[in-house]
Amino acid sequence: MMDNFEKYIHDNQDFFNTKKADKNKMWDAISKELDAAEPTKVIPLWKSTGFKIAASIIIILGLLTIAGPVLLKSNTDTLETSYVTKEVLDIEMHYKSIVEHQVKLVQDHPALSTEDKKEFLSFMDDLDHEYDGLKIEMKKNLDNERVLEALIGNYKKRIELIENLLKQINSSKKINDDYGYTL
Amino acid sequence: METKIQNIHKEFIEKSKLGDRNSQYKLYELYVDAMYNISMRMVGVKEDAEDVVQDSFVDAFKKLHFFKYESTFGAWLKRIVINKSINHLKLKRITFSPLENHEYNLKEEATEFKEKIDLDKVKLGIDQLPNGYKQIICLYLLEGYDHNEIGEILNISVSTSKSQYHRAKKKLIEIIKE
Repeated sequence: MMDNFEKYIHDNQDFFNTKKADKNKMWDAISKELDAAEPTKVIPLWKSTGFKIAASIIIILGLLTIAGPVLLKSNTDTLETSYVTKEVLDIEMHYKSIVEHQVKLVQDHPALSTEDKKEFLSFMDDLDHEYDGLKIEMKKNLDNERVLEALIGNYKKRIELIENLLKQINSSKKINDDYGYTL
Repeated sequence: METKIQNIHKEFIEKSKLGDRNSQYKLYELYVDAMYNISMRMVGVKEDAEDVVQDSFVDAFKKLHFFKYESTFGAWLKRIVINKSINHLKLKRITFSPLENHEYNLKEEATEFKEKIDLDKVKLGIDQLPNGYKQIICLYLLEGYDHNEIGEILNISVSTSKSQYHRAKKKLIEIIKE
């Protein structure tokens, strides 16, 4: 507990604070030291107003880049989309005509039984379903090269199968013909 | 519930944390005289006190992000000035604690002055005290630290702080009454 001497001094603290600092001289020295320390000064970046503005601009630009084409449906994008769609249609038309021609060859082939034809055509139907699935996938993502490759692969598979089948039929016919000649 | 101390200069402090030189100057202007007086009492030499105060402000502004309003800015800054003053005395090999870690179990005597206390005499008396006495009188009587805090600042035990203070006060009163 304070006695009256301590209390009196405590109550008159201002009396002991009479010295005046050389403010300007000292501030110059402080300011210089702070300036020198500036490059290594660590200020939490996210607290700076400038950073907040810059970050907001970057976020908005980023969002526009990602969502812009979808939201705005820009002309450039429409052109690109139509270009890709046309490419897919051309591919489809090309392979479709080949496949249709070959399927007709199989259907009309006299050496194949109705059962064999049915089995072969059901296999073709499976590939048709796979192709329809790939087309839906393609609509979702027109610039997806992997889907486009899968579409072409699907047609190639059909053509290859038909060619193999026709080759087998023809070769067996040839053997039979040879035997005929021998006999 | 923890009550955070309201800080009247919060705006200046927050801007200073971001390196705003104008706000730093406002804070400096508000506290420089008080800090200079504290340092002058502790180190006793004008040039040394100026160096201590300059270093203290530079340190304070660099480490301001550590200031979390658990005390007033003035109290936080004062502690920096006191610590720097003591380090300065240590560097100059000036004994600031002659009775360091020696406990003198002096009986606490209340000093009841019947006559009016002459503050000029007190001021002169403090200046005439040996360094160790002078610092502990300043820390307790003028800066308002308790013996626990003084123990931390001077790295001495609480009882050493108490006994040293009573010896210093006794010496001061002798000087005043001469």
